[in-house]
Amino acid sequence: MTVHAVAVTPGRRAVRGAWLARAGSLRLTLGILPLLAAGVLAAYEGPAGDYATWVLVVPLALLAGNLLAAVASHPAFRRQGALLVFHLALLALILLVAASRLCYLKGTAEVLSGGEFAGLKDREAGPWHRDRTGDLRFESLGFSIAYRPGLRRSGTENRVRWRDAQGIPREQVVGDQEPLVLDGYRFYTTHHKGFAPVFSWRPGTGTADVGSVHLPAYPEHEHRQWNEWRLPGLAEPVWVQLAIEETVLDPAGPTAFRVPARHHLVVRHGEERVTLRPGEAARLAGGELRYLELRTWMGYAVFHDWTIPWLLATCVLAIVALAWHVRCKHFSRPWRPEAQAEEKGMEG
Amino acid sequence: METELRLLWVAIVAYVLSGSVAIFGLILKRRPDGFVLAAMAGGLLLHAAAVALRWDRLGHGPFVTLFEILSSNVWSLTLIYCLAYWRYRAVRPAAAFVMPVLFVLMGWLMLSSPEEGHFPVTYRTPWLYIHVGLSKVFLGCVLIALGMAVVVLLRRQGLALGRLAGLPPDGRLDDLAYRFMALGLVFQSLMLVSGAIWAQDAWGRYWAWDPLETWSFVTWLLLAFALHLRLTLRASAPAGAWMIVAVFGLAFLTFFGVPFLTTSPHKGAV
Repeated sequence: MTVHAVAVTPGRRAVRGAWLARAGSLRLTLGILPLLAAGVLAAYEGPAGDYATWVLVVPLALLAGNLLAAVASHPAFRRQGALLVFHLALLALILLVAASRLCYLKGTAEVLSGGEFAGLKDREAGPWHRDRTGDLRFESLGFSIAYRPGLRRSGTENRVRWRDAQGIPREQVVGDQEPLVLDGYRFYTTHHKGFAPVFSWRPGTGTADVGSVHLPAYPEHEHRQWNEWRLPGLAEPVWVQLAIEETVLDPAGPTAFRVPARHHLVVRHGEERVTLRPGEAARLAGGELRYLELRTWMGYAVFHDWTIPWLLATCVLAIVALAWHVRCKHFSRPWRPEAQAEEKGMEG
Repeated sequence: METELRLLWVAIVAYVLSGSVAIFGLILKRRPDGFVLAAMAGGLLLHAAAVALRWDRLGHGPFVTLFEILSSNVWSLTLIYCLAYWRYRAVRPAAAFVMPVLFVLMGWLMLSSPEEGHFPVTYRTPWLYIHVGLSKVFLGCVLIALGMAVVVLLRRQGLALGRLAGLPPDGRLDDLAYRFMALGLVFQSLMLVSGAIWAQDAWGRYWAWDPLETWSFVTWLLLAFALHLRLTLRASAPAGAWMIVAVFGLAFLTFFGVPFLTTSPHKGAV
C-alpha cells in the first residue's frame, strides 16, 4: 500500500483559519449567550426530564465550541494570559458539568435508630454512575433535634457509627451542615424523621423475626401516623396506627424530638383489630406479632458526584483569572474624568 | 426594639436629606458634595448601630425577614455608593440618580413589619455571610454604574444638558461605568460559587435551578453579554448605558422580587 503525504497548502490553512475565526467569533458568542439564557428559562418553566436537559445541553455545547475556537484563533488570548485561563476554565467547567450529569447520584434513605443503612429508598442517577450504595454500611445510633417555641427546628445531631477502610469502628455526629461521607457518598440528615414500631413475628412453626415499620414523618404528618406492611407468610397486609397519648412537641415553648412515653398501637389484619402496648403480643392468623418498642427513624438525602472538588477548583481558578484580568484591563491605571482616546477592544 | 427603630428612622432621614440635597444641587447647579457625603456617612453610622442592636437582640444577622433584608441592603448599597462618591469626585452629581433608587428601598422598608423571623438552621454557616456579602458588593457595583448610565442616557435625550455639563464626557463615564460592571461580574461569580458551596452543605446539592439560582444565573449571563457587546460591537456609550440599566433592572428583580415569590428553601437571604 502506498501512502501519499498530503501537504497542507497555505490556501487550505487560510480557509481553516477563517472557519476557526468564524466559529470563535465574539459575535457568535453574543448570539449564544441569549440562547443559553433562553434555554435556562425554558428548562426552569418547562417540564422536567429530557426536554430540560436538551434545552441546556445544546446552547452549552455551542458555547463550548465557540469558546474553544475563540481560544484557538483569537490573538487576544495569546496576549492576555489571565483572559486565556478564565476562558479555558469556563470550558473545563462546561465539561465537568457534563461529566457531573453523567455520573451523579441523588437519592433518599431512611435508617432506624439502632439499625443499619439498608439501601436507598429512591434514587436518580446519571447513566454512567456505578452504584456502590449496596456496599455501604453504617449504623444510626439515634438523633436529637431541638425546637424553639413555635416548633422551629433549631439543630439536628445524629450519631452514626461505621467501619473505616481498616475495619476500625468510627463514630461521628452528623447534622445540618455536616454530612456523613462514605466512599464518596454524602449522607445529609433531613427534616424527614419519624417513629418506627419494632415488632417480632413468630410464624406458627418457626423462629421469630424482628423488623420495624416506618410511620410517616413526624410532626410533618402528625395526624397520619399509620402504615401498612406484609408479614412473611401472610397474604393480607397488616395495618398499624400509632396513637400518641401525650403532647410530644409542645409549640408553646422550647422542646426536643422524642419518643412518646404514653402511646399504643392499633393493629388491624383482615377483620381482626387489636390494641398493643410495648411488650404485648397479638395472635394473628398464621402467627404471633409482638410489639417490642417504639424507636425513631431518620431520613437522609444521599448525594454522590466525584466532580464536586474539581468543579470548585475550576471555579476558583476561573474567578481568580477573571479578577486578575479585570484588574489589568480596568484598574491598572487610574480613571481620569477628562476626555481621552477611547480604550475599547480586547487590546486592553 | 424601640431604640433600634428610632436609630433607623433617623438614619433614613439622613439618607433622604443627603439624596434630596444631591438632587437640588443638580437642579440648582451647585455642588453640595461635602454635605451630601457627611449626611450619607452619618446615616450609615446610625443605621449600623440600629442593625448591630437588632443583631445583638436576636442573635442573628439581618438575613431573614423582608424588613431585615431591605434594611441591610439599604445600608450596604449606601456604604458602597458612599465609598464611590468619596473616591470619584468628578461623578458625584450622579448621586441625584442613584439615591432615588435607594429611596424606593427605604420606602419599602418603612412599610414592612420589623417583627422577628425564624432563623433557619441552614443559615448557621459562615458561607451565608460570605455569599450575602459578595452579593451586596455585586449589586453595589452595578448601582454605581447605573448612576453614570443615567447621566449618559439623559444627555442623549437632550435632558438637563446644562445641569449635566459639568460631568465628564460620555466616553469617560462609560469607561468608569464598565469598570464597575466588570468588577460586578467578578463579585457575582464569587456570589454564585459561594452560594453553591452553602447549598451543598445545607441541602446536599450545589445547584438545583431553584428560582433564585436560575434568575441569578440569567443575570450573570446578561452581565457577561453586556461586557461582550461593548467589546465586540464597540457599542456606543448610550447603548452601553441601556445595557447597564437592563442588568441593574434584572439584578434588582432577582434580589427583591424572586425571594418573596418563591417557596423554595433558598429564600434569598440577600
